[in-house]
Amino acid sequence: MATVTTEHYRTYSPRPFTRAERDTTTIVFGGLHWRIERMIQAVLIGGGYRAEVLPVATKEDLLAGRELADIGQCCPTSFTTGNLVNFLKKKSDEIGHEALNKNYVYLTAGSCGACRFGQYHQSYELALRNAGLGAFRMFLMAQDNMDQKAIGDGLDLNLPMTLGLLWAIFCTDLVLDLEYQVRPFEVVPGQTDAVVRESIDYLFDVFKNRPEQGPYKALASHLMGSYYTKALREVHRKFSTIEVDRLRVKPKVKITGEFYLQTVEGEPNYNIHRWLEQEGAQVYPAGISVWMDYLLRLGLQRFEDYAGIEKGARLKLGLGRTVQAIYRGVYRRLRGALGNLPHELPNQFVLRRLAAPYFHSRLDGGEGDMLVGKSLWAHQQKKAHMICELSPYSCMPNTMSVGAMSAVTGKYPDLLYAPLEIKGDAEVHALSRCQMILTEAKKRAQREMDEVLAKTGLALDEVRAYLDTHPKMKRATYRVPHTDAAGVAADLVLHVAKRMGK
Amino acid sequence: MPRWFARTPSVDPRPSRAKLRVGIPRVLNAWSTHQFWCGLFGELGIERLNLVFSGDTSEEQGRQYGKGRGTVDCCYPVKCVTGHYGELVFGQRQKLDMVFSPMIYTLPSFMSGHVARTLTCPRVMAAPENIKAGFLKERDVFAENGIKYVTPFVSLDEPLLVPKQLFEGGLREALPGLTMEEMQRAVDEGYKALREFNERARKKSREVLEWCARENRGCLLVLARPYHMDPGIGHEIEVDLQAYGYPILWAQYFPIDDDLMQWAFGPDIAAGHIKSPFDIKDVWPSSYSSNTNEILWGAKAAARIPWIACVIRLASYECGMDQPTYTPVQQIVERSGTLFFSFQELDSTKPAGSVKIRVETITHYLEKYATDIIRKKKAASPPGCPLLPSAWETERPPLVRQLAPRA
Repeated sequence: MATVTTEHYRTYSPRPFTRAERDTTTIVFGGLHWRIERMIQAVLIGGGYRAEVLPVATKEDLLAGRELADIGQCCPTSFTTGNLVNFLKKKSDEIGHEALNKNYVYLTAGSCGACRFGQYHQSYELALRNAGLGAFRMFLMAQDNMDQKAIGDGLDLNLPMTLGLLWAIFCTDLVLDLEYQVRPFEVVPGQTDAVVRESIDYLFDVFKNRPEQGPYKALASHLMGSYYTKALREVHRKFSTIEVDRLRVKPKVKITGEFYLQTVEGEPNYNIHRWLEQEGAQVYPAGISVWMDYLLRLGLQRFEDYAGIEKGARLKLGLGRTVQAIYRGVYRRLRGALGNLPHELPNQFVLRRLAAPYFHSRLDGGEGDMLVGKSLWAHQQKKAHMICELSPYSCMPNTMSVGAMSAVTGKYPDLLYAPLEIKGDAEVHALSRCQMILTEAKKRAQREMDEVLAKTGLALDEVRAYLDTHPKMKRATYRVPHTDAAGVAADLVLHVAKRMGK
Repeated sequence: MPRWFARTPSVDPRPSRAKLRVGIPRVLNAWSTHQFWCGLFGELGIERLNLVFSGDTSEEQGRQYGKGRGTVDCCYPVKCVTGHYGELVFGQRQKLDMVFSPMIYTLPSFMSGHVARTLTCPRVMAAPENIKAGFLKERDVFAENGIKYVTPFVSLDEPLLVPKQLFEGGLREALPGLTMEEMQRAVDEGYKALREFNERARKKSREVLEWCARENRGCLLVLARPYHMDPGIGHEIEVDLQAYGYPILWAQYFPIDDDLMQWAFGPDIAAGHIKSPFDIKDVWPSSYSSNTNEILWGAKAAARIPWIACVIRLASYECGMDQPTYTPVQQIVERSGTLFFSFQELDSTKPAGSVKIRVETITHYLEKYATDIIRKKKAASPPGCPLLPSAWETERPPLVRQLAPRA
């Protein structure tokens, strides 16, 4: 029998991270892919912080996460909880408990609308406590709330810092997109990876050494200055050294799904990006910028609903739309610096319209209607041959969007859709399921190529010969316009035919 | 001027809605908002007998009406909605004209304004979109059966928005002649009906608590989601317990009178842990989900009310919203010395044998310890409990007075 105490239960409430601790305290973060993690680290270091990135989560982390917190967590939480605990244990062995509690803080995104991902503070705390690390400081930052008083004043998310983080996301997304467009077609294996590493190292310095500016000047220079466009042009130059063979017929696979699983690269998603490439596909990765664009749209919908009901709602909507237009404009501008090679941001209103018959645009949590909209958009606008949707085991909002997709596939039976439930420890099952759809996608890509060759009357050798006489077209930075085909090879044949006047 | 020459119709031109039959799935948050819908449709002219709720959830219902229409594997309370839809479409002697299945985004909780948000679970709010897919996948089953499927998105915790959401969310088309003014009146009526029902239920709960205080008897508090009141989901576990003579209260209908709240939570407010009786940031800072918030608050209330000798926690299999709350809820309750038993992973089948054994265990513990629990909790409580007419505080021994928290 428990005894009565006069002290009631109180939740974990870590000691704030103060400004005075900034020079001695390391901010630990992770859960994204290595490129963006490096960029965020650069921005933080440039802003005078100490920052360390968590290693990529592994299956051991998954097991630790399951063991240490309450049962039934969603898969991303098990991975990230275990990842944090294992990292801290190792760190504690190196520097001791006391130094760890004093000199390290963990920062992670917390809120995700109605999803329980925003309510995991207790699970993290339970895992830390069960691992004997109960005094460690961990802070969840709400994505939709800039009021982060509980964290303390140690982290000053001022305008220049926020802009730096935002631009880091834009630049990394663009490089990531370009990387995935180039690697499947590279002539010299490994060259793309080397160029990407070099580019990210270069951008790390660019972001670390950002000029120190006040808020207004920082805003003006980010929006209109050439600091980042110049940097991306240099990245473009680095990519231009890669020779590619775009006549390799590859099915294009669009990655959608839950934010963590579609972003991370490693065991948490069975290394699906690399696996798809190894299986002969070209991956169309999911950008963080698209997710943030969706969050903006989601937030602004509130003002749409209150228009005519609440005073000033229309004005707020107008202002919000302006901000969103600027956001998209910045992305376009930076994309231009990379020769317009990376994919454009899909129009959120188009996605909303496409998804409307199947999923209400106001239902939030996860990717909501965007998951349905992106699948239809990719299918109808021939952006990909196949959709690979990564859904974490036990993910609440994602299962709903996936369920709604059954009506979509009923109406569009030729939409190749592979929803994969990712548990972290059922790799063979998930990948074999994906392979079944991928086999069909490969056939479709080949069929598309055959049809394009027949339509243009060109033979493959003719196209190859044409490319040999135009070596510029074999550069990774040559832009093949997207026309009537989903596959790059078919698009290239159509492009060559046009240039040849056929 | 135009009004001078306008013709005044001798009869109301709007078509009568008296014969219109509306079906509502008795699922999920309909269990805590049904009175709103009854009030709303009553005001809109739908006859009470023509407002049809589907039956209680059962495996039979799922087999007969929902088989083959499931679209995704998730928790049972959402999965079983398919059977309810099927029952409304295929299982009515007199055909329905409309199936009304609102996507409830926020709930009109008593905690509203004291917590971050009052959202519903992401699966629950999106369930209608998910379930309808199973009825549209091959062909439009609703249209085939001459039924209008109306599924408005509605934020019940934002009353200003609700008339517009319902009007534009399908009722304008489904109810010919409906005007925005009429919609507004109906929404007001809905809120009134809901408020009155909740007040009646809370008053009844207070009477139960006062009886317990007067008789010095223990009662049980159920911490669960509203749909666990469905016999097919909660499996009437609390009814089995009630059969042993213990009064049962549900956190959703717990009395929230100011005198009781100030007595129970006053010391926490004075100590700066919380700002109001319904603030739960001391135990649950990310208070986004309405039903989760109410469960956490219920646990706090149970910890502070002496005559709640035992808390019964019900949670469905794969309930993602309940999962992160298991430890804090148990901690809140047990730290106060209150008995805590949880029935987790409830699914479609009632595990009758194990429920029986557990019910016997619970009642055994209650018989053995309830009096002692009440005595200790009373001793740790602040003076002047409004549930007690007599001032038992003066009868307390000096040592107990010392243990009581200081405001």
